[in-house]
Amino acid sequence: MRTRSISVAFLTLAIGVALMSAAPAQTADKFRIAGIIPLSGAWGIIGENMRRGATIAIEERGGQVLGKPVEVIWEDTETSTQVAVQKATRALSQGVHTVFGEVSSGSTLAIMKLTDQRKVPQIVTLSADDRITGADNSRYTFRTSNTVSMENAMIGEFAKRRAVKKVYGIIADYQVGRDMWAALRADLASKGIDVAGEEFAPIGSKDYSIMLDKAVKSGADGLALIVVGGDVVTSLKQGGEINLPQKMTVVGTMLMDETLGQAVGPAGALGVNSTLRYHFTEDTPRNKKFVAAYQAKYKEPPSQYAGEAYDGLSWWLDTVESTQSWDKEKWVDAFRNSVRQDSVEGVKRMRACDNQAEQIGLFGTAEAGGGEGLAVVMKVAETFPAQTLFKPCT
Amino acid sequence: MSTIIIGLSIAMLLFLLSAGLTLIFGMLGIINFAHGALYMLGAYLAYQLSASTGSFWVALCVAPLLLAVTGALIERSMLRPIYDRPHEFQLLATFGLILVLEEFVRIMWGLQLRSIAPPPSLSGSVNFFDTDISKYRLFVVLFGAAMVGLLFFGIERTSLGLILRASSNNAIMAEMLGVKVSAVRTGIFALGAALAGIGGAVAGPMLPIQLQMGSTIILDCFIVVIIGGLGNIRGAVAGALLIGMTRAYGQQYAAEWIDIATYTVLVATLLLRPQGLFGVRLRTA
Repeated sequence: MRTRSISVAFLTLAIGVALMSAAPAQTADKFRIAGIIPLSGAWGIIGENMRRGATIAIEERGGQVLGKPVEVIWEDTETSTQVAVQKATRALSQGVHTVFGEVSSGSTLAIMKLTDQRKVPQIVTLSADDRITGADNSRYTFRTSNTVSMENAMIGEFAKRRAVKKVYGIIADYQVGRDMWAALRADLASKGIDVAGEEFAPIGSKDYSIMLDKAVKSGADGLALIVVGGDVVTSLKQGGEINLPQKMTVVGTMLMDETLGQAVGPAGALGVNSTLRYHFTEDTPRNKKFVAAYQAKYKEPPSQYAGEAYDGLSWWLDTVESTQSWDKEKWVDAFRNSVRQDSVEGVKRMRACDNQAEQIGLFGTAEAGGGEGLAVVMKVAETFPAQTLFKPCT
Repeated sequence: MSTIIIGLSIAMLLFLLSAGLTLIFGMLGIINFAHGALYMLGAYLAYQLSASTGSFWVALCVAPLLLAVTGALIERSMLRPIYDRPHEFQLLATFGLILVLEEFVRIMWGLQLRSIAPPPSLSGSVNFFDTDISKYRLFVVLFGAAMVGLLFFGIERTSLGLILRASSNNAIMAEMLGVKVSAVRTGIFALGAALAGIGGAVAGPMLPIQLQMGSTIILDCFIVVIIGGLGNIRGAVAGALLIGMTRAYGQQYAAEWIDIATYTVLVATLLLRPQGLFGVRLRTA
C-alpha cells in the first residue's frame, strides 16, 4: 500500500515536470548572461579584454535585449578548468539565458557538456580546439572565432607565400600544442616545406635560448613557435637577444599583437609573423564604430580578444532580438542559419552543420609602432578568404 | 661552451633567489613561502623605476633597497610576534603574505605583462664558439658570481657576518653578549628580501614580468635549497649550479624531459643525502 502511494507520487511528479517542460518559454525580468572567463591567473589579461569587448556589445544596444535589461554575471575561472566547471555549474543553476566563454579549449570543452545538458546556448569567441565544433560539437555551442585548422592553414600558406623551405618547430608540450604541430607538419609537407627539427618545451619554461640556438643552427629558414601564455614573451624576448626575427621567418598562432609587442620589446617582436583573430585597423563600418566606442571608454585600441568577444556576442544578441521570443530553441535555430553581413571582419556565416562561423583569416607582421604610444603594431600582411580555410559541410 | 654559459646564467638567477630563501631559513628558522612574491614585487618595482628613470642601473640599485625596507617591515610587524609559535603559524603567515603582495601588485600594475629592456651596453649578442650569446646573459653570470663572492665574504669574513652567525647559532648567548638579536633578525629578513629584489631586477630583461612569476620560480628555488641543504649558502651555490646545468643540458638534448630530469636530481638527493649536499645531518638521539 505504501509502495503504491510512493509510486503514484513519483508518477504525478513526472507528469508535472513533463508539463512544465512543454510549457511555452516564460518572459524573464532580465536577460542573464554568465561570463565564464579567467579574470586572474596566467590568462587573466585575456579574460579582462574579452569582458571589455563584451561590455561594448551590450552597451551599444542600450543594455537591453527583448525589451529587458541585460545582466552579466562575471565568474572568474582563475585560469583553472576545475574552477571553470564549478562556476559554470553555479551560473547554470541560476537560470542564465546564455553562457559566454571560456578561454582555454579544455575549459570550453568541459563547460560545453554542462550547457548541452541544460540546453543553454554557449558562445565561444576564443577557444580554438577543433573538437569544439568538430567531434564534440553540441547543438547549443557556437564558435564565432578561429579554429586550430584555420590557424594551421594560414601558417602553412603564409610560409609557402614567403618561400620558406624548411621549418623548425618549438612547441609547448601540451595536447593542443602537439595536435596542432602534427596537423601543421602534415600541411607543410603537402606544400613541399620540410621540417628540419622539433622541440617540445614544458609550459612555463624560463629559458628558450638553447632551443632557439638549435633552431638557428638547424639550417631552417622558418621557425614555427607554438607556445602559450608567458612563454610567448619569454621565447621572443630571448630570441630578440640573438636577433632571431632577422635570421628566420618566425611564424605562430596568436604569437604577436600590440599587447605582446609591448611586453616583448621591439628587439624580439619586430618582424614576427602571426595569425590575427581580429585587428582594430579593419576597414568596416561596424569595426570603426566599435573601435571608437572602445577607445572612448578604455583609452586604448581593442585587442584581438576584445574584438572577437564584441563581434561574437553582438551577433548573438542581435539574433536573439530578431526572434522576438524567449524560447532558447528558437534562438539556437535562428543563429545556426544566420549570416552576419556586417561583422567587424566583413561577412561571417554560421554553419548549421557544426555551429562554426565561416570567416576570413588575418595574418599580420609586427612593425615599429607609429603612434598611440605603441612600440609595436601589427600590419595585416595577408587576408585569407573563407573558402580557402574551410572544408564544405558534409 | 654556449650550453655551459647558458646553464651558468640560469644557475646565477636561481642562486640570487635561493640565497635569500636559505639565508632566512638558516638564520631565522622560517620557511618563507612569500619569497617568490617578494621576487615578483622586486621585478615590478624594477620595471617601474626603469620606466620612470629610463635607467636599468637605477632600477638594479634601488629596487633591492625598497625590498629591504619592505622585508624589514614584514619581519617586525608580522613575523616577530610568531617566532615562538609552531611552524604552521609561520607557514600560514607567509602564505597569506603571498596573497597580499599579489593583490597589491595587481592593483598597482594591473594584469598586463610588463617588460624591462636591457641597458644599451648589454643589448645584442656576442659570438662565442660559433654561438650567439646575449651580452645580458654574460652580465648575469658575472653579476651572479660577484654576488656569491660578496655574500661569502660578508658572512664568513666580516664582524657583521660573525654577529649574524652567532645570533643564528645561539640567540640567547648572543643577546647576553650585547648583540641586539631582534635587530639582527630584522636585518637578515631585509637582506633576504633584498636578494629577492635583486633577482627580480636581474630577471626583468630576460623573463616576462607578470603576476604569476613568483609562484613559477619558487618551486625551483625550493629544489635548489633542498638539494644544497637548508640554511647553507655553499649549498645554494651547488644546488643552483646543478639545476641550472640540468636545465641547460636538458634543453640541448631532450627539452621535454627537463622537468623529469630536475625532479630526478631532487629525489636522488633526498634518497642519498637527505640533509642536502652541504647540509649537516642532525642527530635525533
